[in-house]
Amino acid sequence: MDHLGLWIAGFLTLGIYSFLYRDNPWYKLSESIFIGVSAGYWVVTEFWQNFVGKFWDQKGDDPWLWIGAVLGLMMLMRLFPKIGWISRWPLAFVVGATSGFWMMNYLTTNCMAQVQATIIPLLGLGYEASAVMIFSNIVLVVGTFCGVAYFFFSKAHTGVFGATARVGVWTIMVTFGAMFALTIMNRMSLLIGRTSFIFGEWLGLIR
Amino acid sequence: MKTRVIEIGVLVVAAVGCVIAYLGKPNIFGWHSGFVFSPTVSLIIIVLIGVSLLWMLIRTLQNRLVGRRIVFLYVGIAISLPLFMSITQNIVVSENVRDVYTALDELDPGEKVLVSFDYDPPSAPELQPMAEAFLAECFKRKLKVIIIGLWPMGPIQANMAIDTVMERMGLDSTQLVYGVDYCNLGYQAGNEFVIQRMGTSFEAMFGNDVRGTPYREVPLVKNVKNFSNIDYSFNLSSGFVGTVEWVQVAVSRYGLRLGAGNTAVQAPTVYPYLRAGLLTGLLAGMNGAAEFEKLTDFKGKATIFMLSQTFSHVIVIAFIIIGNVAFFRGGRKTALKGGSE
Amino acid sequence: MIASGCTAGAERFGSYLKLATLATFLIPIVGFSAFAQENSVVSADSVAVATVAPVTSLVVEDYRYDDGENLALTWVPSIDDQPVGGKVVGYEIFQITDSGEPEKIADVLPGVSSFLATGLHAGASYRFYVTARAETSSAPSVISAALTPHREWINWGLWNLMLTALVVGGSVMFFIETARRGHELFVRKIAGLEAVDEAIGRATEMGRPILYIPGIQDMDDVQTLASLTILGRVAEHAATYDIRIRMPVSRSLVMTAARETIKAAYQAAGRPDAYNEDMVNYVTDEQFGYVAAVDGIMVRERPATVFLLGAFFAESLILAETGNSVGAIQIAGTARPAQLPFFIAACDFTLIGEELFAASAYLSGEPKSLGSLKGQDVGKGVAMVAIVLGVVAATLYALTGAAWLQAFGDWLVAMFTIAS
Repeated sequence: MDHLGLWIAGFLTLGIYSFLYRDNPWYKLSESIFIGVSAGYWVVTEFWQNFVGKFWDQKGDDPWLWIGAVLGLMMLMRLFPKIGWISRWPLAFVVGATSGFWMMNYLTTNCMAQVQATIIPLLGLGYEASAVMIFSNIVLVVGTFCGVAYFFFSKAHTGVFGATARVGVWTIMVTFGAMFALTIMNRMSLLIGRTSFIFGEWLGLIR
Repeated sequence: MKTRVIEIGVLVVAAVGCVIAYLGKPNIFGWHSGFVFSPTVSLIIIVLIGVSLLWMLIRTLQNRLVGRRIVFLYVGIAISLPLFMSITQNIVVSENVRDVYTALDELDPGEKVLVSFDYDPPSAPELQPMAEAFLAECFKRKLKVIIIGLWPMGPIQANMAIDTVMERMGLDSTQLVYGVDYCNLGYQAGNEFVIQRMGTSFEAMFGNDVRGTPYREVPLVKNVKNFSNIDYSFNLSSGFVGTVEWVQVAVSRYGLRLGAGNTAVQAPTVYPYLRAGLLTGLLAGMNGAAEFEKLTDFKGKATIFMLSQTFSHVIVIAFIIIGNVAFFRGGRKTALKGGSE
Repeated sequence: MIASGCTAGAERFGSYLKLATLATFLIPIVGFSAFAQENSVVSADSVAVATVAPVTSLVVEDYRYDDGENLALTWVPSIDDQPVGGKVVGYEIFQITDSGEPEKIADVLPGVSSFLATGLHAGASYRFYVTARAETSSAPSVISAALTPHREWINWGLWNLMLTALVVGGSVMFFIETARRGHELFVRKIAGLEAVDEAIGRATEMGRPILYIPGIQDMDDVQTLASLTILGRVAEHAATYDIRIRMPVSRSLVMTAARETIKAAYQAAGRPDAYNEDMVNYVTDEQFGYVAAVDGIMVRERPATVFLLGAFFAESLILAETGNSVGAIQIAGTARPAQLPFFIAACDFTLIGEELFAASAYLSGEPKSLGSLKGQDVGKGVAMVAIVLGVVAATLYALTGAAWLQAFGDWLVAMFTIAS
């Protein structure tokens, strides 16, 4: 069975990669198998781990689970147009609960902590910092301020404010370039993993 | 028709080649034991690839553009050939990676480390080497490791990592005892709400470990109530739910000391937390994994794959230059679509 | 002789009295020491003879801002607790509840002078003592007075977080109310929005469908909600110009919501007969399975326009590149920073981050969306002002050394520091 599994994995891997040449029946077959298996996998995972594991096995121990189950059933009413309005209540509960849960977390880590970390001296006599650190601090402060200015929607981007926003968007683009590079690194890592599987585990060509 | 015949012919040849290579594996007929290029051959290949890239640049300057499939072919070569090369790459350890190592250094034997495996097999090439090196360092320092997962496949990846570490370190189950030296509490659905609940009670979220043992009967965790009993935590993640949620809930609300190992794509979203002092160290991508392997002297797949990573980056840079040359010489549309179907 | 006898007797009685007094003190100490050895059989060898000095000044206080489950202990370490040559090897913390039975709750290392007792019950009464341990002896401290941990309903240590939340939240509510009353709220022009109409026009000219991808997250993600708002506008135009919409989705709830949105848009455009619920179909929840299916649709149906608006992850580049390769005009928007670089590189127009929500507010004109946008701008304004003031103060202090600048800068930093 190991041999069969290796060959199926190799066949499907190369089938998906054949899309790089052009769309072809081999890719379509691999795509269809992937979609079907993934849909089935999620159904099985959600049923056994969430419904059975989280609710059915524990329904006697924790009465709060019944409230969750009722809300879940109400959510499914969306599939029936006449009573679809019932699903708005559990959706409102989910959106409201997660908003309340996240509001303080985001304010703390994404807002206040970031403002605090940006309040730094840029330079000064006796301030022990190398030229690189001073330049880095200036870029950090100017980039942060101008970036926030770009996303300020209450004022048109004209005049000095417009120039500030333009510096902000340049900073954002440079950041995106760096993020693009990191993502290329990530995608290459995944490709290396698959290539290592093909030449190593499957064909045994790597010593 | 002719193209179709050529395509089918190439497919048949490739299929036959795969069958021969597979049958020749050491554990089947043993016709070959794999291939390694000597340093000389490796250098010759590198020079040949460099010359061909230069030739492509010259062609581009002459307005004879490179097709999309040629770029794919070169990337494939850049990824594949280094796997057969015997040359190695020098790895320089960065400060963020060193901070993770220093954090482990500050712990005493017997102290508890919580490791959260929040990724699945697609992210394994980057995160699995990090996991193995981190666990190996923990076991070397006699730290007690508690494993959880907020992604379904996470605990399974953890088991695979432990198996690899035990094999590499020559440990058996009597030297590294499950339930005493480490334990795996398994996967729990609920994303960030699981982290929130763990702030008050681990047992409420993980009633049993992966082996079905009740929480209170696992010696390692029976006295572990919540985050206040954890000395250091390390999160391996590749998306949602991951390091961002751990920082926003566990670190900001409960003051947990947290280090992270992320895929390269997620690292930029985590750098602001590193800068604000909310994270103690970060391993970013395969590069971070290779650096940590070097620090801990646990050479694994990340170190081996770094050469392929470097080659692919050089190829990408070369084609960015070639692409920009084409862009500035001709129109934008021609530069993008030239040479493709 | 009688006198000497009396004297001797008095002396003996005095000795007995002294012995009795000594015993009165020794017996409890011995007894506690026996308990301190976890109720084991107290043998002559293990009876604690206090050769190590106990800790002093044990103070127990209610731990502030908790649910009544913590008490904070502090003490002055034993005089025998020295870094070099000290006798103390550690301290044991004991807790006595109403039942009166002492229970050891922790061991701490020498040099430590504080401990947080956790897992207590609000309203119950607790006493503590700390035993200094040497190699062969131990010395318990005086038992603390009984203390009851209290529950605090509000964590006043986070007052600055509460103030920030009130300012931002209050601004949002204020502007929502302002918008509801009909006041016009200014929102600056967003570049990508003009391209929406242009893209729909292109699809009309080419007679090819519009492909709309609302991201891969569910209805609880605000980006999906913003995307569906924009979908309404796109669907209304598509109905007017008789363009087919193709919308594969990866969440079943999004499918039903999208069908409702498109149906309402077709009705608003006066084309209810042209609506077909097969315009929206569910593919799979699995990320790359969904991507494979969408790629196949792009290559086979070759849409003229592709909208990629919502929450995307790793599949963003695959979708954008495939759309680019079939020659479609692509308009993208997401609030996930990691995916924006790919959209900017491969798409014709990109709504960066919050511009997606601004576009949704702008197009819908809904008071709640517009008010939220304006309220958030207040928060951004506060952050910008704080950064400028703080950086100027910190830099001027570094240049001049003026104490008031340092004090002002520290105050400003403290305003944005969250106590843990």
